[in-house]
Amino acid sequence: MTSPPALAARDLTLTLGQSSSKTDAAVAVLRGISLTVAHGEIVALLGPSGSGKSSLMAVLTGLERATSGQLTVAGANFAAMDEDALAHARRGRIGIVLQAFHLLPTMTALENVMTALDIAGIGDAETRATAELTAVGLGHRLHHYPSQLSGGEQQRVAIARAIATRPALIFADEPTGNLDAATGQSIIDMLLARRAETGATLLIITHDSALAKRCSRIITLADGLIASDITSHSAAT
Amino acid sequence: MNTSGTPAPLPWNICITIARRELSARFRGLRLLIICLFIGVAALSAIGSLTSAISGSIAARGRIILGGDLEIAVWQRGLTAPESQFLNSLGTVTSGTRMQAMAAANNLTLPVELKSVDGQWPLVGRLKLTDGRQVGAPSANQAWLAPAAAERLQVKQGHTITISGQALRVGGIIADEPDRLGEGFALGPTVITAADLPMRAGLISPGAMYRSKIRLTCASSCNPPAIAERIKSLFPTAGLTIRTSDKAVQNAENFISVMGEFLVMIALAALLVAGLGIGGGTTSYLEARRNGIATLKILGASGQDIARIYLLQITVAALVGSIAGLLAGALLLPLLLSLLAQTIGTLIPIDRSALVDPAALARAAGFGLLVALTFAAPPLAAAKNFPAMALMRARVTSLTAMPRVAYLPTALGGAALVGLALFTGPKPAFAAGFLAAAAAIFALLAGLGWAIRRMAARLPRPRHPIARLGLSNLHRPGGQTARLVTALGFGLSTFVLLAVVETSLEGNMQSRIPQRAPDYFIMGLAPDKLPTLTQIVTATAQGAVIRSVPAMRGAILAYGPADNMTHVADLDLTKIPEDAWALKGERGLTFSEQIPLGNALTDGTWWGANYTGTPLVSVDEKFAAAIDLKIGDRLTISLLGVERSATIASFRRIDWDSLGSNYVLVFSPNALSDAPYKLASTISLPASAKNATTKGAMMRAITAALPAISAIEVGGLLQQAHDLLGQMSMAILAAASVTVLAGMAVLIGAITAARAAKLYDNVILRVLGASRAQLLTLIMAEFAGLVLILALVALAIGSALGWLIMVHLFKFSFLPNWPWVLAVLGGGVTVILCFALLTSLPLLRAKPAAALREL
Repeated sequence: MTSPPALAARDLTLTLGQSSSKTDAAVAVLRGISLTVAHGEIVALLGPSGSGKSSLMAVLTGLERATSGQLTVAGANFAAMDEDALAHARRGRIGIVLQAFHLLPTMTALENVMTALDIAGIGDAETRATAELTAVGLGHRLHHYPSQLSGGEQQRVAIARAIATRPALIFADEPTGNLDAATGQSIIDMLLARRAETGATLLIITHDSALAKRCSRIITLADGLIASDITSHSAAT
Repeated sequence: MNTSGTPAPLPWNICITIARRELSARFRGLRLLIICLFIGVAALSAIGSLTSAISGSIAARGRIILGGDLEIAVWQRGLTAPESQFLNSLGTVTSGTRMQAMAAANNLTLPVELKSVDGQWPLVGRLKLTDGRQVGAPSANQAWLAPAAAERLQVKQGHTITISGQALRVGGIIADEPDRLGEGFALGPTVITAADLPMRAGLISPGAMYRSKIRLTCASSCNPPAIAERIKSLFPTAGLTIRTSDKAVQNAENFISVMGEFLVMIALAALLVAGLGIGGGTTSYLEARRNGIATLKILGASGQDIARIYLLQITVAALVGSIAGLLAGALLLPLLLSLLAQTIGTLIPIDRSALVDPAALARAAGFGLLVALTFAAPPLAAAKNFPAMALMRARVTSLTAMPRVAYLPTALGGAALVGLALFTGPKPAFAAGFLAAAAAIFALLAGLGWAIRRMAARLPRPRHPIARLGLSNLHRPGGQTARLVTALGFGLSTFVLLAVVETSLEGNMQSRIPQRAPDYFIMGLAPDKLPTLTQIVTATAQGAVIRSVPAMRGAILAYGPADNMTHVADLDLTKIPEDAWALKGERGLTFSEQIPLGNALTDGTWWGANYTGTPLVSVDEKFAAAIDLKIGDRLTISLLGVERSATIASFRRIDWDSLGSNYVLVFSPNALSDAPYKLASTISLPASAKNATTKGAMMRAITAALPAISAIEVGGLLQQAHDLLGQMSMAILAAASVTVLAGMAVLIGAITAARAAKLYDNVILRVLGASRAQLLTLIMAEFAGLVLILALVALAIGSALGWLIMVHLFKFSFLPNWPWVLAVLGGGVTVILCFALLTSLPLLRAKPAAALREL
């Protein structure tokens, strides 16, 4: 018997701006996405600006509800859930890394990671968070606030926070978009290394073809639809 | 998830942990909320404690203030033997008299309140003199003088004064008269003498206007109200006025209660205005944490978790603001008590060492927390409901719109606030009226805010870019127009209301009354001495007009058709109509051959000169209407303990504003003239005689020739009333300025909330080449347009409320000094604009490059 996929989407659509206001025209962002990702896969999501990459990720992570279609993530039927149920489903199961880091500015690096563990209901948060930050090379920055960290360091905190709960799925939306090339490279190396240690499924949005080539599968989006879906043979582990 | 399918929220301990981590130790972002609550709670707790302290002082000192357990007063006579015998059987009794008299010394004269007491006085407490002695009644040829009397007669201890020809040595200056407050309003400083002085000085002659006062202390187990009822039933027609120690200063207590509640309501209005600041502060706080909220939602926090986390933070800030406000209120109390003791300490008992009232503090804290949670509920609910991606996507999408989920907590909070105001205050009906008026004004201003936004959105776009941007700022998403309109509209309306009421009172006092009022009231003039008075007055002030009427006092005993009269003793006088006040106790009576000056007959006929038929009486038309009197009805009065009846012949309209000798009941001469009486006279001086030299000479001559009379200068009375109204105005102004202060806090909050959007606009305009002067013009144009509209609305609201208060509450004319009202309004507008300018200056100083990096 084959294990269920990490995520399975069928005919997902997302239409934004369905307001009654005359000034808001409805925009079809996703126009029927069907996709299955197996456990442990590393998927690169490519596509030009406006193709729907970030919106697809928002739907797959439950940050946005699809307008229509079926979606199962980590065994949970996302299509049938409301906002709060989706939030609950994310706890500890899905880790998210964003381009703009999105750390809590009023909390230290350690507290940022601890908060993810606390919400997931995982005990001994401080020890685990310390270990995670040490693993991403920030053992000496535990009590620094985001404003006291460089961009690269902030993104490492974000990665530590995403991985600390040992999620089954990690989503990364252009994690190096705000970083210089060298820093971006080290961040990607670290992300892939940490993923390898946990065995999580990774879905990464990028414009970087070199990074895409390190993934086991490359999906390209165009105009809200999957334009191509290629399995790479030179994927990094 | 739980068994019902609803995801389980995070445990409270996790919410507390996250809330604590996120909350800045210095409350950054929540300071406006804290300041707003601090202002409102401090005002509420200080005013509440002050009112409680005064009420508590009245209650605790009732026996001392009254000078016994009961006081029995009667006009123009002493007690009869049966009355005296009965009272003496109840306990220890002290008796004496109170009257107006003229004291003289050093070629100076002074109207004084002559208080003559027997050897038993005071039954409770001791009289303290300034030299430290504690004494009782003075000996036969001595007097204790109130400091004001000694000062104005320029005498000290050991000097001599004369009262109605009797020389009295000043035995001491009064430091603390134990029953001063129970004596009520006096037309001059007190001089205390032995009980027999009025008789020796000829001040107690038949018809003289004096009051006998008998105080009684009974055993500790006695029940004063029950004794009072017994006295009334035993002597129903005696015209006795009885007060008990539990209501020692009932009028003052009522005044304090109403005034205190009024001030509490003003402070509550300030707190409601502050609530707008709290709502705005919460919105700004959550807006600033938009990304943080999104991040928490990304990490798996549900909307309910978000609401809990930020509710905890808001509650902590609200507690800090409320506790600081309570502390400030408690610290202010001694200062306010000291201030009041110096200003109105002669009218109401002020215990400077009074402690804060825990109930008042609890009420203030309750109001504070309820206002905070009620006004914070809509933005909290909006943050709860916002999807994570929407939070990250659209900065312009405001949290201010009230989602449906906020309706219930907001309505519950509002109901709790109303309940707290109604059920914890002494005057629920008053509180309800005030809250209804405040709610109506809030609704009106909220409607105006909506209308301004709609209008600004529909107006054609101006061609000038600055004007175009200024107009669009009035209706842009996330704009602060609605909040500013309500807060500033309320503040400016308060300014106008205060100016209208104050200048109207002033107008009634200074413009109208003095022109028509006489210069002196003369009391206690024997009818045969009128020619002497006229001669002295016209000799010193040629052209002066003297008007005299017989003055007596009596109580109405019964009225109505001869065969079915209503007996006043059977009525509950607490439930009679307002215009039937003359039924309460003894009132002034007179008789006259002519219709009194300033009166007009509205029904019936006037008796002619030398009328000798059935005794007749003419009645004030309002009083007649209040107790349903008809022409031909009978009226029975008690005069000097003797019953007299008359037939109602006519009704009159009285011009009370004339300050002349106005009487509700005017009898035909044959009804009363056989009773002993004195005259009440008024002296109106010509303009040439209205100077200190002429007045001084005239009064010295009158006092020398007519020692038994008492002369009161009207100017002094008006000044006393003016001072009292001034002190009331100050109290209202102080409480109302809290409303304005709260409005200012809201203004800061609104400017802060709009800061990010305005900074963005300014930077883009600077990039496009706009000068700072142009940006300044934009800011000022936006505020000036709004504030000018609000000024007009405030003028209308404040004037309308002022009219209601003056005409319907105070029953005065509506006489505002419009130039002054407009000047006050202009001042308010200027302060707001300066404030807006000052708080907007940092936006102009922002460096475009640096700001662009941050945006």
